[in-house]
Amino acid sequence: MKTPAPADLHRWSEELARNPGSLAFLPLARAYRRMGRRDLALQLCLRGLEHHPTHVEAHALLALLYFEAGERARAADEWATVLRLKPGNFEALRGMGFRHLEQGDMGKARQHLERAALIRPDDATVQEALRLIRHRESAPAPGPPVPHSPERRAVQRAAPVAPPVQQRQATTPPTVPAARPASRAPNLPPAARAQPRIEPAARPQPRFEPAWWVEPDAPAAVAPPAPAARRSPEPAAAPPDPTTLFESLLGAGPLLGVLLLDRRGLILAGGLRERDASTAEELGANLGGAIDEAIRAVTHLELGTWRGLTLEAKRAVLQIRPVGAGALVVVVAERSAPAGWIVRAADHAAALADRFVEVYS
Amino acid sequence: MSDPFRDAVRRLSHVPGVSGAMVVDANAGVAVAEELTPEVSGTAIGALAGALFSRTSQASLMAGLGELETVQLGADSGHVLIAGAGDLIVVALVSDDAQIGRVRMEAQRAAVALRAAMEPGT
Repeated sequence: MKTPAPADLHRWSEELARNPGSLAFLPLARAYRRMGRRDLALQLCLRGLEHHPTHVEAHALLALLYFEAGERARAADEWATVLRLKPGNFEALRGMGFRHLEQGDMGKARQHLERAALIRPDDATVQEALRLIRHRESAPAPGPPVPHSPERRAVQRAAPVAPPVQQRQATTPPTVPAARPASRAPNLPPAARAQPRIEPAARPQPRFEPAWWVEPDAPAAVAPPAPAARRSPEPAAAPPDPTTLFESLLGAGPLLGVLLLDRRGLILAGGLRERDASTAEELGANLGGAIDEAIRAVTHLELGTWRGLTLEAKRAVLQIRPVGAGALVVVVAERSAPAGWIVRAADHAAALADRFVEVYS
Repeated sequence: MSDPFRDAVRRLSHVPGVSGAMVVDANAGVAVAEELTPEVSGTAIGALAGALFSRTSQASLMAGLGELETVQLGADSGHVLIAGAGDLIVVALVSDDAQIGRVRMEAQRAAVALRAAMEPGT
C-alpha cells in the first residue's frame, strides 16, 4: 500500500520498543521509506540487521535505500549479500548486472542479467542491457564508449545517469565501504565477511532515479518464483518428463492434481486426477485471464511482487504460484487438505516446475 | 436500524492488519460500503476485486470445483482477501505481517452475515 494506516505504524513502533529484536523493523522501515523518511528507514534497517543479519528482505531494502541515496557501492554490497542468501532474487540480480555493466565487466553483467531474464523475461530494461552486452561482445574492439555512440545511448537508456564506465582489473576484489557499521560485520555470514579489500567510505554520488529501476515495492508484471521454488533440485541427467513431473507429489495425500501453465494458459506439464484432459485445459485457460486480473490488482495497490493466489472453492483448494519464464504452477487439493500442507506442496511443485522451465526455456 | 453492509466493513476493518475493507457488488464491481484509507480508491479496488473474483469463480465452476468461496491474493507488501457472499463480495486489504488466518475467518463471517441479511424475508 502507498501509505500504511497510522494504527499500523503505531503498532510496529510499539512492538519494536518492547522488543528490539522484533521483525516489525521491516514493515516500519518500508513505511518510513514510502513516507520519504529514508534516514529513519536506513537506521531501522541497520538496527534490524544487527538482530537478523541474514534477513534477505532487510538486505534488499537496505540496498534500495543506499541506491536511492546514490551510494552505489554500498547498494551493490547489499545486493551481493542478498544473492549469497537467496541466489534467485530478481532485484539483486538486476542491480548487480547493471553495476557490472557500469563498471565495464561484460561477463559478470551478462551472467547476472541472464539469470534475471530467466526470472522475469518481460523486463524490458534487462533485455535492453543484454542486447547492449551482446552488441559490445560482438564488436571487434570494445574500448570505452564515445559520448554519442549507439552503445552509449543504449547504456543511457538502460541507466540514464550511469557514471563513466570504469574498467577494472579482473582480479580486483570487491570493495566494502569503510562506513559500514562495524557492529554488523561479525554477525554476517562467512561469505559476507570475506571481503578482502577495504576502501575509504563511498564517495558521495549525485542522487538519481534511473529509468531502468523498478522498485521492489512497485508493480511487477511477473514475479520471481516463490521462496522455496528458487532453489531448484540438483540437475539430473535427463530433462524432466512433462507427464511425470509431479508424480512424486501425487502419490499420496489429498492432492487432486498439479498443472504447469505457460503464460498463455497452455499446459506445459502435469494434469488433474480423475478428470479428463479437457477439464485441465479449461482450468488453465480460465486461470490465465484471472492471473491478469490478479497482477492488475497488485499493480494498482502497489503491493510489490505478486507471490500467489489461493482459491477456496466448494470442492477444492487451489494454490497458484508464479515460476520462471512467466509460467504458473497450479496445485489443486481436496477441500479437506490442511492449509499449511497445501502451501508446502505448492512450494515443492514450484521447485519442480522451476527446474522444468529452466531446462526447456 | 443497523446497516449490514456498513456493519460488515466496520468489523472487518478493525481486525489488526486490515488497512481497508469493502463490500462490493461482484457483478458490477461497484462498492456498496467501504472503509478505506484516503489514498486508496474504492472505485478502482471494487472494480479490480470484482473482476478477479468473477474470473476465478468462472475458472472454478468450469473445472467442476464448485462455487468459489474465498480468494487470497498474496504479494510482497500485503494481501487482498475476497470472500464471496452471493452477488456481493467482501474485500479486505491486509498488511503483509497480519494474521491472515484471522482476517480470513472474519471475512468469511462477514460474508455469511451478508448472505443471511440478503435472504428474502430478512
